[in-house]
Amino acid sequence: MKLFGPLVSFLLFFVSVRCHSASYQKIAEHTLFNGDKLTEFRLENGLQVLHVPRHQAKVLTYQVWFRVGSLDEKLDAKLKKTGLAHLFEHMMFRGTPKYPDGVFDKLVSRMGGTQQNASTYYYRTNYYESVPSDQLETLMTLESDRMQNLQITTTLFEKEKGAVVGELRRHLDSPLSVGMDQLLETAFRVAPYRFTVIGNEKEINGFTIEEANYFYKTYYAPNNATLIVVGDVDAGRLMSLTSKYYGSMKSQEVPKYKIPAEPPQKKERKIFTRHKQATSDSLLVGYRIPPVDSPDFTSLALLATHLSTGMEGRLRKLLVDPGIAVSANGAPSSKPDLFEFVVSLSEKHRAENALSIIDREIANLQKKAISDQDFQRALSQEKLDMYGSIGSNSSLANMLGEYLVLSGDYLLGFKMLAAFEKLTPADLQNAAKQHLNKKQRTVVVIRPEKRGGKKS
Amino acid sequence: MKRLSLILILVAAECVSAGPKLLYEEDPTLLTTTIEIVVQSGSSEDPMDKTGVANMIAEILLRGTATKDRALFQSTLERMGGSIGGAASHDTIEFSGEVIKENTDAFLDLVVEFLTKPAFNEKEFKSLVQENLAAIQHIKNVNTRLGGLALRREVFAGTPLERPTQGTRKTLKAIQLKDLKERYKSSFHKGNFLFAVASPLKKSQIEKKLESIWTALPDGKATPSPLVSLKIPTEPKLIVVNKPRTSSGSVLMAQAGIVAQEPDRYDLYLGNFSFGGEPLVSRLFNVVRAALGWTYSIGSTYQAMGSLSKQKGLYMVYTTPSVEFTTKSLFKILNMWDSYLEGGLKKDEIDVAQDSLVNSYPFGFDSANKRLGWKVMSELYDVPILSPSEYESKVRGIGNNELVKLLKKHHTQRGWIISVVADAKVIQKQLDQEQKSIPAEKRLKIAKVLRPDQIIE
Repeated sequence: MKLFGPLVSFLLFFVSVRCHSASYQKIAEHTLFNGDKLTEFRLENGLQVLHVPRHQAKVLTYQVWFRVGSLDEKLDAKLKKTGLAHLFEHMMFRGTPKYPDGVFDKLVSRMGGTQQNASTYYYRTNYYESVPSDQLETLMTLESDRMQNLQITTTLFEKEKGAVVGELRRHLDSPLSVGMDQLLETAFRVAPYRFTVIGNEKEINGFTIEEANYFYKTYYAPNNATLIVVGDVDAGRLMSLTSKYYGSMKSQEVPKYKIPAEPPQKKERKIFTRHKQATSDSLLVGYRIPPVDSPDFTSLALLATHLSTGMEGRLRKLLVDPGIAVSANGAPSSKPDLFEFVVSLSEKHRAENALSIIDREIANLQKKAISDQDFQRALSQEKLDMYGSIGSNSSLANMLGEYLVLSGDYLLGFKMLAAFEKLTPADLQNAAKQHLNKKQRTVVVIRPEKRGGKKS
Repeated sequence: MKRLSLILILVAAECVSAGPKLLYEEDPTLLTTTIEIVVQSGSSEDPMDKTGVANMIAEILLRGTATKDRALFQSTLERMGGSIGGAASHDTIEFSGEVIKENTDAFLDLVVEFLTKPAFNEKEFKSLVQENLAAIQHIKNVNTRLGGLALRREVFAGTPLERPTQGTRKTLKAIQLKDLKERYKSSFHKGNFLFAVASPLKKSQIEKKLESIWTALPDGKATPSPLVSLKIPTEPKLIVVNKPRTSSGSVLMAQAGIVAQEPDRYDLYLGNFSFGGEPLVSRLFNVVRAALGWTYSIGSTYQAMGSLSKQKGLYMVYTTPSVEFTTKSLFKILNMWDSYLEGGLKKDEIDVAQDSLVNSYPFGFDSANKRLGWKVMSELYDVPILSPSEYESKVRGIGNNELVKLLKKHHTQRGWIISVVADAKVIQKQLDQEQKSIPAEKRLKIAKVLRPDQIIE
């Protein structure tokens, strides 16, 4: 039985439409497995547009993705810092000459906007909201304005630093969050994944308006962005408005950095640390793995479902059911490319115990392929996950955007799902053999502080 | 699994006479069938010394039936592309499930089985107790939960609601398997059951399957969950959960809230939208975060205890400032509350809130599951159903004079119960510093310092 219907795609390079002051091209059309039509357009200035029309409700999701994140600022010779991409994301809500501080939020709220927010990661920054579809033009006026005319004042810049420090402080009070920082810092010695996205307090407080303006002018260009709209609007109207509001922006050269290659890891790295707020052990393990668009990544993703999803997930049975851990998960991440195990231990149980149980399970996975029944369970859970979420406008837009900025292919999520069907239990076994090896891993153990609060 | 979100309802609840009470949303575009099974009997019916019984029933029913042990039951379910979770609230035990549409029939067979022929396996029970104990202990790592539970201990003192729904270390150890069996016997009857389904399939197909459950259930009459009174102080009462050397302070401030069917809720929601309810545009956000830069997150809600119900809940203001701004934020919020209570909102704030509430209304109905969630709320809590035009008329009709009158009817200036999770010594120092100019007898004092351990005991 085939899991998914064919993903029908047409590539159209020469269909060009002139509208308002700018023209755009229809680049490709695809029919998704659920019958949705996805069309890719591109404006002359390089702005990419992905559109999925859905008319079941008079609402739409609007997202703008920029191919810039904390990796770029660290690799940019003029900055060499971390935290600015994230702080800058906050500043995108602080006003332009036409719509001063607070007006953007007020207008979006007034039009009925929901889920309005933004996020920054290593390789991207995205801005998103969902609005009633009759508010599309007003929203596009606002979004295109802040992409071109942001005005960063000293007062607002300094105040926003306080909010970001508040965010950082909350992060620092979480043992698992700090553990993840330490895992990346230890696993990567060359690639800038070893620096946190949010930066540290000194860096945050030290940023200047000049640096923020440089970042904005350099990276927030139409040819470095993708607009994704899923919902109640036809392609004609969407592209007419996009041309009108984004068409006058100029394409520009955007620096692209080659992320320094991390040398192969030849020996296990292990650190033990204590956290002042921890009341029990936490264990984080990261195995170096290949990137998201490699065949082995697909095998590892399905292996992760076998390990972590459902009441029959192996980690649940081995660690949570016996009361050793409160939660236990294993999953591959991309950029940074690690297969991460994250375990929150119960009190009185040690991280070393959880690690030896995980090690035994990995040894079993390497020695013997999982049963056909277990394989089918993992496959079905992947299908349930996709089927359950694709109906939501924002979930579909998120998936398209994330895979696009990760791999350059916005259809990769669907392709991976189809690829799962072609895998066999032996593929999962081979991926475990190939990539889940001790010498390629980093282990972080977080412990509560000793009585009296002394650090180890 | 998450509870279905509530909002409104377009179609009245349907009752099949002499058959299962089924709320249905048919949507041919869906790729999955979702089911919500509500048993109207929650943790407020747990014996005081055995809080956690209702929640454990929700979990143990999914761990084996008369013909399938847990492994076989769960692997059958998961292999067909399904999942089911169970949890209790103060007035319900709920099961939420989802399955890829092709396997709806087989999935419903499993639903029938776990609801009508649970195994109540002793080994699974012991394992469940261990898991829940570990989860309870772990609350000590989550400051916002510690703060919330510290408040509950005060507001609901002496009732089962003073404790987490999943119980405490002490009550979990007191629960025996026979307690679960007895509760199952007394609560799982026809009068307490409500089914809600969203599916691409025809309603008749689902109804047929649910009949098997209905037939197997004993007769019974729905008994309303016991309601408890809130113990809210007349002067601010500050509880500190002592966690030395935090980088941030977790502040929760509560007053008495409202019930689901409260007629004044439209006005109160609109007021709260502008005071603290709507991120990015509320007064609290604009002052404490945007203008002062003291915190990252701040807000207020009438749904501090989850979805509204017939039990009066809590109105809550929450924030997690950098630790040095903890009491500054607290006093600023109290100060802003005074202005809000006395003067209500400005015209511009009312306009923004009215536009936002009316224009965002369609999002409450943009998926079958959301529509179903509203149907469930309406059925359980007698929440009236407003059409979009009725809703608009309600919201547009709200004026500031009436709002201020209602704020004073439902709230007080100083009746706050406050929890702060941070270093008690640091908080005491900040209180002294911030209140230097205030006479000692009028100062806000720490009424109680709790250890995290005490909260979960």
